[in-house]
Amino acid sequence: MAVRQIRQIGDEVLRKKSKEVTEITPKVVELIEDMIETMYGAQGVGLAAPQVGILKRIVVIDVGEGPIILINPVIIEKSGSEAAEEGCLSVLGRKGIVERPTFVKVKALNEDGDEVEYEGTGLLARAFCHEIDHLEGVIYVDIMTEEVEVEEDIDEE
Amino acid sequence: MTNPINLRAISLNIVDDVFINESFSHIAINNTLKQYQFLDKQDRAFITKLANGTIEKAIELDYIINLFSNLATEKMKPAILNILRLTVYQLKYMSKIPESAAINEAGKLVEIRKYSGLKSFVNGVLRNVARNIESIEYPNEQKKPVDYLSITYSIPKWIIERYRKDYDYNTVKIMCEAFSKEKPITIRCNLNKITTNDLINALQEQGAVVEPGNYLPYAIKLLKYDYIDGLSSFQQGLFQVQDESSMLIAEVANVKKGDLVIDLCAAPGGKTSHIAEKLEGTGTVISRDISDTKVNLIKDTVNRLGLKNVQVEKADALELDETLINTADVVIADVPCSGLGIIGKKADIKYKTSNEQIRELLELQKEILKIAVQYLKKGGILVYSTCTINSKENQDNVKWCINNLGMKVESISKYLPQELQTDEDKGYIQLIPGIHATDGLFVARLKKDE
Repeated sequence: MAVRQIRQIGDEVLRKKSKEVTEITPKVVELIEDMIETMYGAQGVGLAAPQVGILKRIVVIDVGEGPIILINPVIIEKSGSEAAEEGCLSVLGRKGIVERPTFVKVKALNEDGDEVEYEGTGLLARAFCHEIDHLEGVIYVDIMTEEVEVEEDIDEE
Repeated sequence: MTNPINLRAISLNIVDDVFINESFSHIAINNTLKQYQFLDKQDRAFITKLANGTIEKAIELDYIINLFSNLATEKMKPAILNILRLTVYQLKYMSKIPESAAINEAGKLVEIRKYSGLKSFVNGVLRNVARNIESIEYPNEQKKPVDYLSITYSIPKWIIERYRKDYDYNTVKIMCEAFSKEKPITIRCNLNKITTNDLINALQEQGAVVEPGNYLPYAIKLLKYDYIDGLSSFQQGLFQVQDESSMLIAEVANVKKGDLVIDLCAAPGGKTSHIAEKLEGTGTVISRDISDTKVNLIKDTVNRLGLKNVQVEKADALELDETLINTADVVIADVPCSGLGIIGKKADIKYKTSNEQIRELLELQKEILKIAVQYLKKGGILVYSTCTINSKENQDNVKWCINNLGMKVESISKYLPQELQTDEDKGYIQLIPGIHATDGLFVARLKKDE
């Protein structure tokens, strides 16, 4: 496994549409492993393949409940709406308020090629939407309602 | 996606839940933290401190906000008021947070609540507060003593006035001061299973820092520990968490082996288990409370402590159970009350009670007492207790029992630790936080005619 370089906004690859994964080759498995390591290394909660320069429809997410791997993910259900702060590993140093559904259900393949479904609320629902947007070349800054100033995090006693 | 957790927004959710939805603060905090179990301990502590502190100090925070806002707090949108409270709390009480960070974060919270138009208002008030936070003038203690105490300690005026009806100014001030300080949690050694010394040793081996209690030989103060549930001595049932004042209830009851004891409002089972322990496996404690949740709490306590002489039942203390009439040697009536003796413990009790509610409670307390007395055998003992400091709910209800239910007060000095004995034995004791190192418990011992 290896940590890959995370592409930053301005890089053309982030604006392209990713392609369906037709076969889960050893290379795809390696990519997924690298994406997870890269996400953890950057303290992120989600990462999409185009962010490491690969235009494949692959997403990894971990909002603190263990890693979720989505290949060719599709949102099949969503409801509710909540505006909250969001940031992106490809847009470092900025944050914005983005309106997202509060509940999202996705369908995808896992790394074994089996069909899986996940339901997420709150942060997980937000992460599903944010990462799947990347597969379409969409970055949250395109849809945020407001940019928020970023302050250094403060450690409290 | 980066980790978007905004700790202040989580604290704000809790504060909104308490002040807008009227939830209980400890429940709001627990429910919220449950959703964020993946956060590290520090973040969780930050959320709790900020939410609890804001709730606890709301009266003082509102006073400060009103000094610097053209719009009075009562006229603000509740969500905006809570953002201001949360931020002024950081400015005043969290010295490590730079002013600019606290105020910027407030702007984000205003966005999150979708009041973008009010951002400059919030910003203006907060900058004004920040500039003057070191030189805020509080009400004059001599000229306006009630306002002074109310704002300094964030206790509603009517509660200060209520205390003042029973106590002089200095006592009330000492009480307010004690409420504002955190005191260590106390535990009661389960003497059926272990000696106090052995328990102290076991706790120290498990990494806890302990100290003997103030009044009772089997009370221990837990000064430092991680999670109580995580201590193996807890799981083994070697102790029960209980304030030292509540331990006095079983002392004052002074049960004899073989007694039938009825504990009418028993959850979470502290008194029940203490009495069952004193019966050393003999007799029976019928331990009741009104809801499944409360009954389950009692069952958990009783099972964990390994007590066999307890019968836990779901029952409403207001409904007379004819099968129990004239059966009990001792009845424990630790009745629902205004909680004015424990307002330091839960940040929001002081906002949730009112004079009107106290009037309703007085009726309820008397109804429970009527029933309690019927369960007693001739010569049986009623132990009446509350966690409030309010003569109406305490001394006056004792008088009412004497005048209306034919009860007699019994001397209690001989059951109390020496430090708590007074020259005048009225058959009851009112503990005062600050004067006594306990919660503000009241307990009385009354006897039914032979």
